Amino acid sequence: MLQYYEPEKDYGTPPVQSSEMVSANIDGVFIEVPAGTSIMRAAALVGIKVPKLCATDSIDAFGSCRICLVEIEGRRGYPASCTTPVEEGMQVQTQTPKLAKIRNGVMELYISDHPLDCLTCPTNGDCELQDTAGEVGLREVRYGFEGENHLAAEKDESNPYFTFDPSKCIVCSRCVRACEETQGTFALTIEGRGFDSKVSAGGVDFLNSECVSCGACVDACPTATLTENSIIEHGKPEHTVLTTCAYCGVGCGFRAELKGEQVVRMTPWKEGKANEGHACVKGRFAFGYATHPDRITSPMIRDSIDEPWRKVSWDQAVNFAAQRFRKIQQEYGRNSIGAISSSRCTNEEVYLIQKLVRAGFGNNNVDTCARVCHSPTGFGLKTTLGESAGTQTFASVAKTDVAIVMGANPTEAHPVFASRLKRRLREGAKLIVIDPRKIELVSSPHIRADYHLPVNPGANVALLNALAHVIVTENLHDAEFIDQRCESEAFSEWQAFIADDSQSPESLEQATGVDPQALREAARLYASAPNGAIYYGLGVTEHSQGSTAVMGIANLAMLTGNLGREGVGVNPMRGQNNVQGSCDMGSFPHELPGYRHLSDAATRALFEAEWQVDLDPEPGMRIPNMFDAAVDGQFRGLYCQGEDVAQSDPNTHHIEAALGALDCLVVQDIFLNETAKFAHVFLPGASFLEKDGTFINAERRISSVRKVMSPLSGKADWEATMAFANALGCDMNYQHPSEIMDEIAKLTPTFHGVSYSLLDELGSIQWPCNELAPEGTPTMHVDEFVRGKGYFAVTEFVPTEERANKRFPLLLTTGRILSQYNVGAQTRRTENSTWHEEDLLEIHSHDAQERGINEGDWVGIQSRVGTTVLHAHISDRVKPGVIYTTFHHPVSGANVVTTDNSDWATNCPEYKVTAVQVSKVNEPSAWQARQQKFDRRQHQLLKQATEDA
Amino acid sequence: MSGQQIEHLVSMANQIALNFGEKRNLTEAARKTGEHLEKFWTRAMREKLSIEAADSEVPLSPAVNLMLEQQRGQIGS
Repeated sequence: MLQYYEPEKDYGTPPVQSSEMVSANIDGVFIEVPAGTSIMRAAALVGIKVPKLCATDSIDAFGSCRICLVEIEGRRGYPASCTTPVEEGMQVQTQTPKLAKIRNGVMELYISDHPLDCLTCPTNGDCELQDTAGEVGLREVRYGFEGENHLAAEKDESNPYFTFDPSKCIVCSRCVRACEETQGTFALTIEGRGFDSKVSAGGVDFLNSECVSCGACVDACPTATLTENSIIEHGKPEHTVLTTCAYCGVGCGFRAELKGEQVVRMTPWKEGKANEGHACVKGRFAFGYATHPDRITSPMIRDSIDEPWRKVSWDQAVNFAAQRFRKIQQEYGRNSIGAISSSRCTNEEVYLIQKLVRAGFGNNNVDTCARVCHSPTGFGLKTTLGESAGTQTFASVAKTDVAIVMGANPTEAHPVFASRLKRRLREGAKLIVIDPRKIELVSSPHIRADYHLPVNPGANVALLNALAHVIVTENLHDAEFIDQRCESEAFSEWQAFIADDSQSPESLEQATGVDPQALREAARLYASAPNGAIYYGLGVTEHSQGSTAVMGIANLAMLTGNLGREGVGVNPMRGQNNVQGSCDMGSFPHELPGYRHLSDAATRALFEAEWQVDLDPEPGMRIPNMFDAAVDGQFRGLYCQGEDVAQSDPNTHHIEAALGALDCLVVQDIFLNETAKFAHVFLPGASFLEKDGTFINAERRISSVRKVMSPLSGKADWEATMAFANALGCDMNYQHPSEIMDEIAKLTPTFHGVSYSLLDELGSIQWPCNELAPEGTPTMHVDEFVRGKGYFAVTEFVPTEERANKRFPLLLTTGRILSQYNVGAQTRRTENSTWHEEDLLEIHSHDAQERGINEGDWVGIQSRVGTTVLHAHISDRVKPGVIYTTFHHPVSGANVVTTDNSDWATNCPEYKVTAVQVSKVNEPSAWQARQQKFDRRQHQLLKQATEDA
Repeated sequence: MSGQQIEHLVSMANQIALNFGEKRNLTEAARKTGEHLEKFWTRAMREKLSIEAADSEVPLSPAVNLMLEQQRGQIGS
């Protein structure tokens, strides 16, 4: 049901955690609250609203506005209710004649320096200053409006998403404090003193300041000083729908605020447990892609990629695809077709894809884009701990004493979690960063890593082994935990391996490139922490030993007893919104939903009974296997949903050859992405705003995605897959995604208790959710590991075959930037491109100087498989010998140079290590020239698209 | 079946064996490699490795060789 738009309730000050309760009386109402709770919050909890301006419940009380004063029996003066905690037996009055007089006087002063343009103000009807003036009964301003004021202050419209209008500022500092406390960026300050005090973005405009456009200041502002441009343009929303962000693996809860079916604002949901009212520039502002003119909303077909598209009906499109697929199978066998699903899609959608493949195609050739990011997490954590998932909540970091961040860059890729982490670090927690590059957490305002271990690309396992070696040989391990919780035989074998001198920091220094002394100190710091937590990302998984490194991380956590409670754990930072969910849903070719291997006859029987088919017990092809087989002519039909393999997968030449070899490529996407340019059937996709479903974030948190606008193509993605399945004779007849979730819950033990009604009731659920955990499982492995005893896997360091040499002396590694997301298909179609118009090559000044490269020069990057050209950015974030780039723009061709090397266990590509040479050039590469020509041609064929009669 | 694919398969199998500790315990690495391929590789890929490995320009690692020998022995027995 739709909700009328109302601002979220503001309790004035943050909640307090305390086992001690205190009771008091406010305006004659008995209240009992945790000790330390402010009078303002206690009052709000029982429905008593104390007028306020400088207080809001996302930031600590400040006590500056003098509006929220109260009277307390037996106490002199008029204390501020926001800064005064409730005490046992306190008698409080929030409304007295004296208080009314004081508040009225204060409001008069505020309003005497505020424009009286309420009727034309963008926040008219949604303004706390306006509300408070009403609450205190302001009827006149005795001082007049002619005196010195700030009414002529100029607006700052530099930020593409919000406007700063200082004429409306009451200098309550809520924005400054939100930037500090909520976001942790410290971009804003109060400049000047007394009457000259003003909010400043460090003396420059917002766009050129350190502001990261998270919107926390805009949320906190009680006036129209900081207002979304969409609100200025469209006005106040009229209803809201709760949903979940479709960007990174943090999975923030959002209120989609609408006028009809038009989203006018996305605001972070305060009750959302992943984000607790915070957001980043992508989720908060970059939703405009959903209605971008590039959206394709008609199904299209063509016989060859050299022909113009033909716009057809849904029936024609799915029948065309189904006939092609069946013909391929008749000619080349059952295994000649397959599908790739996307972590950007909902659980229900990816579940249907794997069902379609297993039940409709009759094989197991289904894979998902997690193959190329976190498949090693699934393998590594399943092997060691017994479950392919992270162990904690994000909130758990608030109890962490030492955090290791390895191969992850949270401030860019998982910014809302980064804010939580930074808050904990400001409270005194210690930080160890393991990364070849000086990420922002190594040194930024108010944050400095205690240790930065700049590991050489490709040497993660060596470094993890060296850390474990120090802990074992210095007897810093938690022997009791290991004895009680882990397999003793495996531990003994591992201990003998790791204690060997060959695993010492000194022996491995040449491989790791890390100072052994710093490494030893970091190991001691982690091992001695009451609560030590490890957060890791694709800088761990996307290696030839990605799975080994994940197991090395799990070993470290078990070794130090850092599992099974809050503040600790092994935390994979999932890249896309539904990486965890797409893996949970059985999207890998060897397993059914819930990580159950196909060879398990009992599990297979469950699905066979439900789907009324016989299932193939043999694993199917992984994504790289599909492409290899396509090049060889054995794999000829691919259904690719929501994933742009032509841009995101490694060795572009190989991918293009594979896609070009297919007889039928069906692409389901919202845009004509790079892969769709090779397609014969285009099924128009739906954005997350156009469908119901669920996403699962990195905490295993299942959150609802709710439709806020009708699908532009007429079908949500689950409906399109269903139509394709039915055209293939694989009957599917779901009326709503909730029915798909019911089927998932029925067939999957870790989801037995999950339903849409429970999600509505609880807001979100962390799986496992079943008879044993009816409301979900915030922390995993509490009393025992899912596999029973924890398993110490021997993690021998096997250097990658992708080595630097004289011809390719530099190592290229890749990463993300805050404003862009993955292949950029969404964010490039928003104002986020203001911050990142193109991918750059970061190169150390030493390497640049050696090659005569200056800032901004075109540089060619040549690897063993290809060449691309980017502009150079000289930076000391990378060390000599290492270069770095992002991959958000197709024309950059970052994956033209990455190779086929992959993780030994899962085939996750080794994106993070490519040996290259860099040289100054004058023009884009031959591939880039071809790519641009192909791109132009394909857009021309799209423009020439004809309507079928 | 192209040369590229068999070489790729051999190379992947060799990596698996190496990561299962081929240098520490050949027999165990061969066993674990066999189990891994059974669990994660398609039947067609396993058969190709078994039948066409000899044609690969990339030599089989000792553990993969042992694994294939054992499998052939089992099939033959």
